[in-house]
Amino acid sequence: MTHSTFRLSCLIAFSFFSAIIWAQLKAIRSEQLIPKDAVTVFSINNISLLQKIAMDDLVTYEFMAEVHQELFDGSTSNKTLKDAGLDFDQRLNLFYGKTNHFELTGFTFGVANKSQLFEVFDDFQTFKTDISGLEVYGTFFNNLLIKDQQALLIRIEPTMQYIDEVTDSIWYARGNEMPFDFFEQASDAQEGTILEEEPYEDNPNANLFPEATEDPLVKNYYELRDSVQVMLQSAELNRVLQEIFVEGQNLFDTDARLSAQIAHGAEGAFYLDNARNIDRAQGLWYFQTVLPSLYHDLQELYAGNVILGDLFLRENHIDFEVEAQYGPALGSIYSELNDAKFDASVLDYIPSTSPAYFTYNINLQKAYEQAYEVLLPLLSDEKNAQIAMNVLTLELLNEFINKDAIFDTYKGSMFGTFNGVKKVNTKKIIFTYDEETFEYQETETETMTDMPIFTLGFSTSRPDIAQLVLKHMSRLTSRVQHFDNYWRIDNAILDAAPLYIIQTDKLLILSNDEDLARFHSNGYGKASLNKKQRKAAKNSGFMFGKVDITQTLDRFPTEVLTPRNAEIVTSLKGKSGQLELTSTATNQSHTQFKLSYQFEGEETPGEHLLDLINSLYVVYTMNP
Amino acid sequence: MKVFLCIVILFSLYSCIEISDDITIHNDGSGTFRYKINLSESKIKVNSILALDSIDGKPVPSIAQISSKVNEFVRLLDAQAGISNVLVEENYTDFIFKFSCDFTSIKQLQDAIRLSIAQISKDKLTSPADQYWLSWDGNTLTRNIPSYLTQQIKSYKIQEVELLKEGVYTSIARFDRPVVSFQNKTATLSKNQMAVMVRANTFALKENQHLLDNTITLAPK
Repeated sequence: MTHSTFRLSCLIAFSFFSAIIWAQLKAIRSEQLIPKDAVTVFSINNISLLQKIAMDDLVTYEFMAEVHQELFDGSTSNKTLKDAGLDFDQRLNLFYGKTNHFELTGFTFGVANKSQLFEVFDDFQTFKTDISGLEVYGTFFNNLLIKDQQALLIRIEPTMQYIDEVTDSIWYARGNEMPFDFFEQASDAQEGTILEEEPYEDNPNANLFPEATEDPLVKNYYELRDSVQVMLQSAELNRVLQEIFVEGQNLFDTDARLSAQIAHGAEGAFYLDNARNIDRAQGLWYFQTVLPSLYHDLQELYAGNVILGDLFLRENHIDFEVEAQYGPALGSIYSELNDAKFDASVLDYIPSTSPAYFTYNINLQKAYEQAYEVLLPLLSDEKNAQIAMNVLTLELLNEFINKDAIFDTYKGSMFGTFNGVKKVNTKKIIFTYDEETFEYQETETETMTDMPIFTLGFSTSRPDIAQLVLKHMSRLTSRVQHFDNYWRIDNAILDAAPLYIIQTDKLLILSNDEDLARFHSNGYGKASLNKKQRKAAKNSGFMFGKVDITQTLDRFPTEVLTPRNAEIVTSLKGKSGQLELTSTATNQSHTQFKLSYQFEGEETPGEHLLDLINSLYVVYTMNP
Repeated sequence: MKVFLCIVILFSLYSCIEISDDITIHNDGSGTFRYKINLSESKIKVNSILALDSIDGKPVPSIAQISSKVNEFVRLLDAQAGISNVLVEENYTDFIFKFSCDFTSIKQLQDAIRLSIAQISKDKLTSPADQYWLSWDGNTLTRNIPSYLTQQIKSYKIQEVELLKEGVYTSIARFDRPVVSFQNKTATLSKNQMAVMVRANTFALKENQHLLDNTITLAPK
């Protein structure tokens, strides 16, 4: 080979490999299809873990609920994710976002086998698009966009408020009258008035929907609203598609915090832009419209507030490491809040066998002073009579009240335990019947009732104040009684069970555990947390928590929760293992937390990962 | 804090309810009806629920709202034909509720209860007007739960019947003259032979509403 031939060969080889590298660099990745408006992102890196998850199981998770309608039907039976044509070398990115007018949910993923994909997603129809290289598919609710073997499944919904606003605007601009007269008629009927029984058809209030107009080409209010909804949905989808596939703008490329998090290489990455989340919370509407300058100040206060997390999947173990980042103003309050010395005496009151407990250690006085310094100027600048009066009240209280006494009484450190269920004595009335005539009598008897045993304790350096209150209460009512080491308030727990108050030099403890009050008022001694457990709690920044899932969550009455909160608890029910929450020291820019989920049993790590993602999804998609 | 306590307390409490209906029928067909609900053994649970804003996503009424509804029912029932001396005792400490009224005939009692419930719940009457659970011909009292009621009871969700698992339902019928015979094998006769009692577990009753069915025949006048 001549020298020139060799040079030519080298040049060709260089060009060839450069082209390959360039193509790889230029090729989009699944995370580059995440819309900019996504506020929460879960990115699963090691999705090969999920290969064995059945599609039908997958759709039972709440994070799939928004997109699964019409997506998974009979075509998913007996199929796993592996059969769905997904590219397991790519990330699966779940996202949720809310703007002032729209909610968007979905996920992005790599496509390995398109025909397999459409065996599962068989309801999707093809749509035309002007965007080069983009394939568009859709159902009534969901849209599937594929470009360069990367897919975005997205669902966009305008908020009802926005739909109503636009519909009303068009409706009235067309000269129509208010379409809701029948509501007024209904509310005119006085409450409590007993209406005569009448056939449903004859009831004028039963005709809730307006009659179709005489001209079939003119829409009534509800038809107009449906059209508005479809048009808004379509326009927003086009805008998002233009943004991602034409302008190349996506959350991954525009927010360095997300791209840095994904680069960590953990099995899962989590991103929540709390600043945008708070900004779009419905509750801030009042500030936005009535107090715009205060709203602007609040935005500045929350600027840079983002929660980032890594999910590490280990053998029988999932670690969720979270960092809450915030701006300097909020950071100054948080760092003062956490500048507290851990009071180890609280650990003496937590038995080592406790199924669930937490410790919380903050410096309320310092946090109050810092918050006063940061927040008061914001409020003082506001030209609003009500806020001005509140600021004046706050400043006067700050001057006149003995803050030292307040913050010495409740110093901000606390602990809580759930010590299982014990039998406690309560009273009940039973009906008894005499044999002669079956006439009945009411008899009061004692009964043993199952009662969850809980204890809450607060650190204090002014035990005299609690004593003062209890002493005077005991003069007022015989229900408050003083014993050697504790006070007892009869029927304090829901008019049925007693509450015990233990007062030490450093702690004020409230409990319904008679055993604690009578025999352990100085702590559990050797039966309290062992050295390892104490060390874990002591070294855990401002908070530490531990939960035995089987003994606590399985017994949690989900019916008392809102349906959404119940989903979180339900998703963890039936599992076994331990949840441990630790935090590191907080500084002006961030606080770090670690949630460790140690599981037992035969379920695959993939299922546990999904369980945890599901719980986190439900938590973080709630409005703040 | 209050809500936290309630949630904690609701962890594992079982519930218990004691219900009693007690009807006295005089020879002329008039009589007295008494109904008692005893939730004293479940008062921690009831108090916990009352302290919450909502349960299963539905708002929990306050004691004042419950009391107002009870009084409205009394007012409605008192206004019905053939009903008098309507009395209600509400004990919100032990959660015992007692109701009693006098009636001129069994049929009027049943019509009055049916109409009052329909009015208070602002529902249309769903029960067929000709179906009664009690009938009296002067010598025989027949208690038979109509099919529309059994269907309705069967449709209750499981969560709603948790309360019934440890509960007892007692049904007593009293007369002015001795009882000669009764059909329900679980029923017992008082020593003075003027009253018959049937007791059943409330959960079992939910599963089989005919446990309280009985036909009681009295001695001739």
